[in-house]
Amino acid sequence: MGNCGAGRLMAHAFERSITGKIIGRLDAVEQALLRSLLQQLAVLLHESDDGAAQDPIAQLVGIQDLAERPADPALLRLFPDAYREDEAAANDFRRYTEAALRAKKTSEADAAIAILDRADSKVELSEAEAKLMLAALNNTRLVLATRLSLTDETTLEQLLIAEQDSGGAAHLYEWLTWLQETLVRAVMRDETN
Amino acid sequence: MSSTDTLELTEVELDLAKPFACVVWNDPVNLMSYVTHVFMTYFNYSKSKAEQLMLQVHHEGRAFVSHGDREKIERDVAAMHEFGLWATVEQGG
Repeated sequence: MGNCGAGRLMAHAFERSITGKIIGRLDAVEQALLRSLLQQLAVLLHESDDGAAQDPIAQLVGIQDLAERPADPALLRLFPDAYREDEAAANDFRRYTEAALRAKKTSEADAAIAILDRADSKVELSEAEAKLMLAALNNTRLVLATRLSLTDETTLEQLLIAEQDSGGAAHLYEWLTWLQETLVRAVMRDETN
Repeated sequence: MSSTDTLELTEVELDLAKPFACVVWNDPVNLMSYVTHVFMTYFNYSKSKAEQLMLQVHHEGRAFVSHGDREKIERDVAAMHEFGLWATVEQGG
């Protein structure tokens, strides 16, 4: 599983305030960076929405006649096979669920962007908004990790060393991990009380 | 009916009686805290049970997180995919 370097948790991007609100302290540059990453996720999801989903009847019933297994590994990670050794069952599952799953992930990415658009120096989140922001951050990290070929064999540490201090994609990924870790902790503070 | 037929029938019956399971697989992206949060909120598991399952995924590579009939398990797997976890439907377990 992924983890977040302990040192980075000294600072908090998202925190639960005394009044119970979840507040993210991100400056204008950080907000713009996050917005641009979420925008890339939204574009990927919107583009993956092929002809079948535009058919109004198919949309109405939420079933696609031909839900193809995504060729793009990032999309395959967002829409994985539900059956490992039964291709027919995996295809059936995809036909019945992928359109709704894509719609949910797309609306979460769009909503997360809208939250940043209305934010000032503070990003204030309701419980529902915090949860969709968590999902959108996670989906962005899944896509970025696929693009970085981040596997259990290739660790983030190796990628960060290779990038040095260039502030490349691996550094962006690490930053997103830190954002998500602070947000999940802020959300869980309420659940565990 | 020959004895072979009887044996085959019994095997089919046993197969149908097997419950399905939602299996969550380890991956390098999903955070330990996030996976725990997902198990607590979706399955309504206690924090200790959620953490125990999360650690099983982390150390053993996978964990059977819920059991039931095929319909329920497909719903659970679809929900795990919504959260971005890597989950599959497995028979038995």
